[in-house]
Amino acid sequence: MTITRINIGPVHPSTHGVLRLVVDIEGDTIVKVEPHIGYLHRGVEKLAETRMYMQIPPYTEKLDYVAPMSYDDAYVAAVEAALGVDVKERAQYVRVILLELQRIASHLFGIGAMCNDMGQMFTVFMWGFKDRDIVLKLLEDATGSRMFYVNMRLGGLVRDLPPGFEDEALEKLDYIDRRIKEYESYLEKNSIFMERTKGIGVLDTEAAINLGITGPPLRASGVDYDVRKNNPYYVYEKLHFSPMVLYSSDNFARYKIKIMEIKESIRLVREAFRLMPEGDALGMPVKLRSPDTKNRIVRVSRELPRGECVMYMVGDQQKPYRLSIRSPNFINLAALDEMSRGGRIADLFATMGSLDLVMGCVDR
Amino acid sequence: MKVEREKFSETVDKMRKEGFDYLVKITAVDYGDHLEAVYMLRSIAGNKDETLEVQMPEDDAWMPTIIHLYKAADWYEREMHEMFGISIKGRRMDRLLLEKWDGIDPPFRKTFVWDTPYRTDEGKK
Amino acid sequence: MTDEIANFIPSLLASPSLLYNVIGLVIYAVVVAIIFSLFSYVMGWLERKIIAKAQYRHGPTYVGKWGIFQNLADLVKLLSKEEIELDNADRLLFMAGIPLLVAAAIFTIFLLPLSPTMQATNLSFGILLVFVIIAFTPILLFIAAFSSGNKFADISAQRSVLILFSYEIPMILVIAAIALLAKGYNIQDIVGAQSPYYFAVLMPLGLVIMFIGMLAELERHPFDLREADSELIAGWLTDVSAPYYALALFLDYARVFMGSVLMAILFFGGWLGPPMIPLPGLFWLILKAFLIGIFIIFIRATAFRMRIDRVLRFGWSWLVPLSIINLIITYIIFVR
Repeated sequence: MTITRINIGPVHPSTHGVLRLVVDIEGDTIVKVEPHIGYLHRGVEKLAETRMYMQIPPYTEKLDYVAPMSYDDAYVAAVEAALGVDVKERAQYVRVILLELQRIASHLFGIGAMCNDMGQMFTVFMWGFKDRDIVLKLLEDATGSRMFYVNMRLGGLVRDLPPGFEDEALEKLDYIDRRIKEYESYLEKNSIFMERTKGIGVLDTEAAINLGITGPPLRASGVDYDVRKNNPYYVYEKLHFSPMVLYSSDNFARYKIKIMEIKESIRLVREAFRLMPEGDALGMPVKLRSPDTKNRIVRVSRELPRGECVMYMVGDQQKPYRLSIRSPNFINLAALDEMSRGGRIADLFATMGSLDLVMGCVDR
Repeated sequence: MKVEREKFSETVDKMRKEGFDYLVKITAVDYGDHLEAVYMLRSIAGNKDETLEVQMPEDDAWMPTIIHLYKAADWYEREMHEMFGISIKGRRMDRLLLEKWDGIDPPFRKTFVWDTPYRTDEGKK
Repeated sequence: MTDEIANFIPSLLASPSLLYNVIGLVIYAVVVAIIFSLFSYVMGWLERKIIAKAQYRHGPTYVGKWGIFQNLADLVKLLSKEEIELDNADRLLFMAGIPLLVAAAIFTIFLLPLSPTMQATNLSFGILLVFVIIAFTPILLFIAAFSSGNKFADISAQRSVLILFSYEIPMILVIAAIALLAKGYNIQDIVGAQSPYYFAVLMPLGLVIMFIGMLAELERHPFDLREADSELIAGWLTDVSAPYYALALFLDYARVFMGSVLMAILFFGGWLGPPMIPLPGLFWLILKAFLIGIFIIFIRATAFRMRIDRVLRFGWSWLVPLSIINLIITYIIFVR
């Protein structure tokens, strides 16, 4: 049969932004997928070299516009490591709470987008958006803005949690918990959903490690690696956190792991509220003159909702000399070819949806 | 861990056999007088991280490929090639990954001129 | 009085004068067009509202009460947009494709009687003719899509042809079973044979097969592989610009009207209503078609899209054998 080359994107309903895929198909079977990226390349790493340390978080946040808080934290943690600043204990708990809330919001979005890619008439997508908005409202209460927070300061946060936040958050999380059960019963009893996710886009453990994929897709392939467990930061050690691992390596596992992580995050937030000490959570002012960090190399790993982010930073006077960001989506997208090859063209989009891509994070 | 470029391939080979099966990231730093390629490797089973730093002169910037050991190196090597002008020996790179124009100054080097006027399609090819 | 009005058109059609026949047909066409446009319009609005409710949204609210005129506003917008001329397209075929499809859909609607008296013709093979014209649709659709010179349209047309051809067979087999029950292919006879029991009661298996087949024919969810917006952008409509796109949307609702009226006639007793309520037959038919249409919308709000190979496998390995079994059971129980 002849091989047809079709061009999907950069303007396409389900490419999650501006991704262009050049797909060779033979009949309905995929021979090769070649992602063309770079449409959102903003050169944040280069831009960071010209800004002061605490002027950069607004830029790094916009890399992953679905989970900005996590990037905010990852960058600030790198600066803290470079300057040798310790995070206050209460601030650690507050950060964990905010990060896990952000993870819940991000995963809800991811599940909805995946269902949308599989041809669902936006219903789960809208449900995800509605429930995500409830979490975003919580984050707005805590930080003052709904989407881009810039809430981290060296050693702490801009502001402590507002009074009454705990009760509200716990109430909302109970609601999310109920909704998650509804999602599960709706999706996993749906034979078309199961049929289109089970055994599709399989990437076995060895290939997953070799391709270097990360985050939920890696754990769905049976690799028990989560930075929160293997290289713990903040108070994750005290919170009895255990990473979620599934072994079926297909789209269903990648969906299911998000559901499981939402449940685990809800549990973590509840536990963190229980253990959180009283005290001060405020960080240092932005305009602080930092000590000399010339040629000081730091490497900080953080588990973002989409995978592991590594900030490799070489310090300079008051600003990074070089900031290198390992974006989880970049390397997950590189594995798309391997996952979807030999599958059907319709499954390419389901697989892409299960990877939960954010193009701003891929291109940096 | 600092490694010489000549010994880099065999070092990576050895580490791969020792269980460093996961490539976290390849990146590079331009220190002004020399370039440094940074390879971050990880052993998932042993929960160990290792960083290999390879120094090279600016005007003779090349690295051997490790794509036969880690498929993850594919896009990282291409990104390094585009952003730092470090050519990768031993593999083919058919097209540019992030950049649109070939042959411009590597943008992440410190010698890159900031105030270059915006390029159009008729610019350098 | 109502009887006089109801019998006016048939009396014209039955008259020996050709002129009166033509006048009768034209009046009938106008009446049916009004009914069917109103139905499609309300259906289009309800679809937006119901799906919005399923998704915790409000749907259109701004234009008119409950946004009832939103679709009209969209239509005006579509008609006022630019028509894009394509380089790769075969201009003539591309322009002819969608109007031809609409013509075929409307032709089937005019073949369906809407009450014992309201009908254009009364053919002894009426239902077969309807299905013959439905079977023409994939060819016309293929022409329309292929001539646009777009690869997405191409894939969409191939999928469409595959689905329509493989779901035609179980549907025709169910029609054969219905013909066994009604002792003929005349639509009046089919409806007449449904008192006191609807065929939905006598032949539930046939109803299920026919409904699934009809969903596939109309290419509504979960069989909307033709328009698969998350895969093929808009499928065969990718390159279709504004006025033709409006026509294509109209075509979609025309086909929904055709499909739900056909289902109502074949399985739910058409214009037969409860005898104690004296309402015209047309009312009952439209009511039943409406309920079927709303059911199709419910499915659209919840179902995932099936994959093409799975759709075909389902059709050939489940629906075709089941429809044969249905035919045999019907023969054994009701005929022998």
